[in-house]
Amino acid sequence: MSSRREFTLRAVAGKLLGFLRGRQHDSEFDEEMQEHLQRLAERFVARGMPEEEAAAAARRQFGNLTLLQEDRRELQTFLFFEALWRDLRFSLRTILKSPGFTATAVLTLALGIGANTTIFSWIHSVLLNPLPGAGQPERVMELESLAPSGEWVPTSYLDFHDFRDHLKLVESMSLAQPMALAVGDDVRVERVWGETVSGNFFDVLRVQPDIGRFFSGVERDDAQNAHPVAVISHSFWHSHYNESASAIGAVLRVNRTPYTIIGVAPKEFHGSMAGLSFDLWVPATMYGQLTATGTWMLEDRKNRMFRVLARLAPGATLGQARSELASLAGFMAKADADTNEGMSATLLPVWKSHYGIQGSLLAPLTILFGASGVVLLIVCANIANLLLVRAADRSKEFGIRVALGASPIRLVRQLSTEVLMLAVLGSAAGLLIASWLSGSLRWLLPLTEAPRLQSGGLDSGVLLFTAALAVAIAALASIGPALHATRDNVTETLKAGGRNGTSGTQSNRLRSLLATCEVALAVTALIGAGLFVKSFYRVKSIQPGFDRNQVAIARFNLSAVNFDAQQADAFCKHLRERLERQPGVTAVTYADYVPLSLGEGSWEDLQVEGYVPGRSENMKIYRNLVAPGYFTLMKIPLIEGRDFTMQDDSSHPPVMIVTREFVRRFIPSSSVLNRKVYGWGKWFTIVGVVQDSKIHRLTENTRPYFYVPIRQIYRPETDLAFYVRTLGSVNEAMQSMRRESQGVDAMVPASGVMPLNEWIAGSLFGQRIAASLLSVLAAIAFVLASIGLYGVVAYTVAQRTQEFGIRLSLGAQPRDVLRLIVKQGLRFALAGTAMGVGLTLLLARSLKDFLVNMSADDPLIFTGTAVFVIVLALTAAAIPARRAMRVDPMVALKYE
Amino acid sequence: MDTKRSEVLQGTLDLMILKTLHALGPLHGFGIARRIEQVSRDVLQLNEGTVYTSLLRLQQRGWIAAEWGTSENNRKAKFYSITKRGEKQLQVEAENWERISDVIGRVLRIEGERES
Repeated sequence: MSSRREFTLRAVAGKLLGFLRGRQHDSEFDEEMQEHLQRLAERFVARGMPEEEAAAAARRQFGNLTLLQEDRRELQTFLFFEALWRDLRFSLRTILKSPGFTATAVLTLALGIGANTTIFSWIHSVLLNPLPGAGQPERVMELESLAPSGEWVPTSYLDFHDFRDHLKLVESMSLAQPMALAVGDDVRVERVWGETVSGNFFDVLRVQPDIGRFFSGVERDDAQNAHPVAVISHSFWHSHYNESASAIGAVLRVNRTPYTIIGVAPKEFHGSMAGLSFDLWVPATMYGQLTATGTWMLEDRKNRMFRVLARLAPGATLGQARSELASLAGFMAKADADTNEGMSATLLPVWKSHYGIQGSLLAPLTILFGASGVVLLIVCANIANLLLVRAADRSKEFGIRVALGASPIRLVRQLSTEVLMLAVLGSAAGLLIASWLSGSLRWLLPLTEAPRLQSGGLDSGVLLFTAALAVAIAALASIGPALHATRDNVTETLKAGGRNGTSGTQSNRLRSLLATCEVALAVTALIGAGLFVKSFYRVKSIQPGFDRNQVAIARFNLSAVNFDAQQADAFCKHLRERLERQPGVTAVTYADYVPLSLGEGSWEDLQVEGYVPGRSENMKIYRNLVAPGYFTLMKIPLIEGRDFTMQDDSSHPPVMIVTREFVRRFIPSSSVLNRKVYGWGKWFTIVGVVQDSKIHRLTENTRPYFYVPIRQIYRPETDLAFYVRTLGSVNEAMQSMRRESQGVDAMVPASGVMPLNEWIAGSLFGQRIAASLLSVLAAIAFVLASIGLYGVVAYTVAQRTQEFGIRLSLGAQPRDVLRLIVKQGLRFALAGTAMGVGLTLLLARSLKDFLVNMSADDPLIFTGTAVFVIVLALTAAAIPARRAMRVDPMVALKYE
Repeated sequence: MDTKRSEVLQGTLDLMILKTLHALGPLHGFGIARRIEQVSRDVLQLNEGTVYTSLLRLQQRGWIAAEWGTSENNRKAKFYSITKRGEKQLQVEAENWERISDVIGRVLRIEGERES
C-alpha cells in the first residue's frame, strides 16, 4: 500500500516537477532541515548544553543529511535519467583517463564502421534504393526478353507493344533506353545522357513534375518523329536555366533538332537506372529522328534495342505476372515465328536487372559486404578483449562497488554505457571516413563512358544503418565483459587484492576464445582475398589474341550529330588521313566495337552456305564492323585470304572475314574462301580467315565471330571507335585524336579517349575490385586479429609474471618459460587456423562462381595462409614471451 | 541500503505523521517531530530527518498539503496539513495497523506460551 516502488501518476508528476526544478527543491529542502537542526540545537542549549555539543547532539538526533537528500532526490526525480547522466559522465571520465585504450578502441571501431558504412552506402544506392524519387518502386520490375539460348536481350518496339497491350497482371509498362545526346547549338555542343522513354514513363514510376508537365495524351501516341518535346532533370534545370520558370516552353537543340521543354523532374529523381543520373527524357517515338534512321527501327520486330519497365497490377505477384508474360511470349514466338522463334521473356526486380551498373556490381558488392562483416566481427572481438583486459584491471573497482551496494545491473549498465560511448565515437570517426569515401563508388566502375554516377552519400538510411551498427557492436562487445563483471565474487576479488597469481580463469577462457575466433575470421578473410587475388592474376595473364600495347582509342557518336552514312564515311576518311600523318603513328583504323567492352556488342542472324543448323541452334553470331587495316593494327594474324580494302564499300559486292572458330563450327570441310554467308538481307563472300581473339571478356570460351567492312554495313546509330597504333607515347596519340577530330568537324565530340590497355583493364574491373578491396579488408582483419592475439598473450604474460618468477627461482630455465608462452600462442593460432580453414571451406561453395580457372579450395593458398598466420601468431606471442624470459625472480616475487 | 527495515519504519512513520496532523491541525516538521517524541517518550528512537522524506512522500500521494508560513517564533517555516484524501487514508491505515498489530500480538503470545 505504501511501497516505495509505487508509481502513481501523482508521483510521476512530482518526479517530473522535481526533475525540472531540481536545484530549487534541493535548497528548499535543505533550508527546512537546517531550520530544524538549528531549533534542535537551541533546545539543547536551553537545557544547559555547551553550544558545540548541542550542535553535534542535534545532528545525531536528526540523522544523516546526505542520505536524506539522496532519498529526496530519488522521490523527486527520475532516477533513471540521473543515473544515465551519471553513467555518461563517469564513462567519459574513465574513457579520457586511459587515452591509449580509448584511441585503440575508437580507431578499431572507426575502421570497422567506416568500411561497413561505405560499402553499405554503395549497396544502398545501387541495390536497395534503385529508383529514388519513384512511388512504390518495389512494384516496378524490369522486363527482359530472352533469346533462344536463354541469354537476355533488349526488347523490340513491336514486342513491347504486344506486351503492353495484352498483359493483365501488369498495370502499366514503359520503355526506357539510355542514350547519349548532343545538346546545344553550333557554337557549343555538350554531351548529355538522356533516356528515350514511352509517354507514360513518369506514370509507371509515379513521379510528379516539379514544374511544367510530363508527356500529354497526344505525345503518347505511336506517331513517329512527331513530338519533339523533352523533360529535363532538376540539376539540368539548375545548371542551364538557373531554376527559372521560363525554362518551360524554352527550345533546346537535341541532336541538331529543336525540342520544346515541357517539364522538370523532381530533384530526387535521376532516371530509371540505379546509381546513374540522367538529365533529359524524350519520347521513344523520336528515336528515328534522334538517330537519323527514319522510322524502320521501331517497325522491325527483330530490332531489339529497348529496356522495358513494368509496374505490377495491384495484388499481382511477381510469380503470377512472370508466368503470364512467359505464356504470352510463348504465343508470340509462334505467331511471329519469323522473328521470335524460340524467344521468351521474364520479369526481374529492378536491382537484379542486367542493365546498368547493378548487374556488374551485385557480385562484388555482396562479397565486399560479407568481408566487411567479417572485419566488423573481428572489431567486436577486439573491443570485447580490450574490455575484458580492462575489466580484469578494474575487478577491484567493481568489487568495491558491489560491496558498497551497487547492483550488478548498475555495473552492466555502466559497462555498456562505456562501450556505447566508444561505439558512438567510433561511429563518428567511421562516418567521417565514409563521407570522405562517399563518391568512391566510381572506383568500382570501369573507365568507360557512362552517365554520371549519382553519389548516394550519407542519407538517413545509411545513418540509421550506422547507428544500428554502433548499438549492435556495443551489445556484442559488452556481453562477455558484463557477464564476467557480475559473476565476479566480491569477497574473492577483494581478497585477491591485486595478487595476480592465477586470477580469473573464467575471463582468461573467454579471452582465449575471442582470440581464437579472431584468428579464425582473419584466416577466412585472408584465404578469401588470396583466392580472389590469384583469380585476378589468372585472368590478367589470359592473352586476348591481339596486341593491346601502344594503342590509343577514341569513340565518336556520329548519330548524335545527325550524320547520315555518307557524312559519317567522309568524316572517318578525313580523320584517318589526318591521324596517319601524325609523327610516330604506324597504323590507324576504325570499327564499331572495341573488344572486351562490357556491353555485349551486336550480332546478326546468319545462314552459312552448306551448313544446316540443328533445331533451335543459335545462329545469332556476334560481329564487328571494321575498316581496312584493323587486323594489322591489332596484330591479329590473318591465316588465309586477304584483309578488307577501301574498295570494299557499298558499291562493291559484300565481303566477310571469319574467325578460325567460325570455320571450325560451320565450314568444317575443304575450301573456306569464296563461300557465301547470308545476313542483313544479302549474301556475303568470305575473303579471309583470322585467328580467334577475345570478344567480350577475357574469361569467355572461344566463340565463332566474324568481321564485315564498316563501309558496306555502316549505320549512323552504331558506335564508332578509332584506333591509333603509335611508336611514341600513347598519351600524345590520345591528344592528337582529340585535336584532329575537332579539326575535321568541331561538332563531333570525342569521348572515351584512352589507351586500349586501360580499356581492357576496365573489363577486368569486377575481378580487380574484388581482389584489391578484399585484400585491403583482409589486411585490416589480419592486423586487428594480430593485435588481439598479441594483447591476449601479452596480458597473460603480465598476469603470470609472479608465477614465472617462482618457476625461475625454482630452477626453470628461461627457455622453459618461453616454451610455455609460445605454446599458448601456438594453441590459439592452430585452433584459430583450423576453425578459419573449416569456415572458408564451408563458404568456398558460394565463392566458386566468382573465381576463374581455379577451384575454391586451392591448396597452395590454404596452406600458405595457414603457415603465414601461424608464423605471425608465434611472432605476436614471442614478443611478450621474451619479456617473460627476462623476468628477474626476485623482482617478480616482490612484485605486489 | 537496508530496504526492509526502512520500509517498515517508513510505513509506521507515515501513519504517525498523518495521525498527528489529523489530531493537531497544521504543523511544521519540527513540531511534528516534537509531538512524536512527546508521545513515544523514549520507546522510539527516531532520526528526525526521516520525518521530512516521509512528509515529501505523503505530499506526493496527495495525502497532505504544504504551505509556507511563519512559525510561533516568527521564523519562516513550511506548514503541513492533512487533506481529505489523507483523512480517508488515515482511517484505512489505522484499521490496517490495528488488525496487523492484533495478529502479531497474538502470534507473539503463542510463541511466549510455548517458551514458558
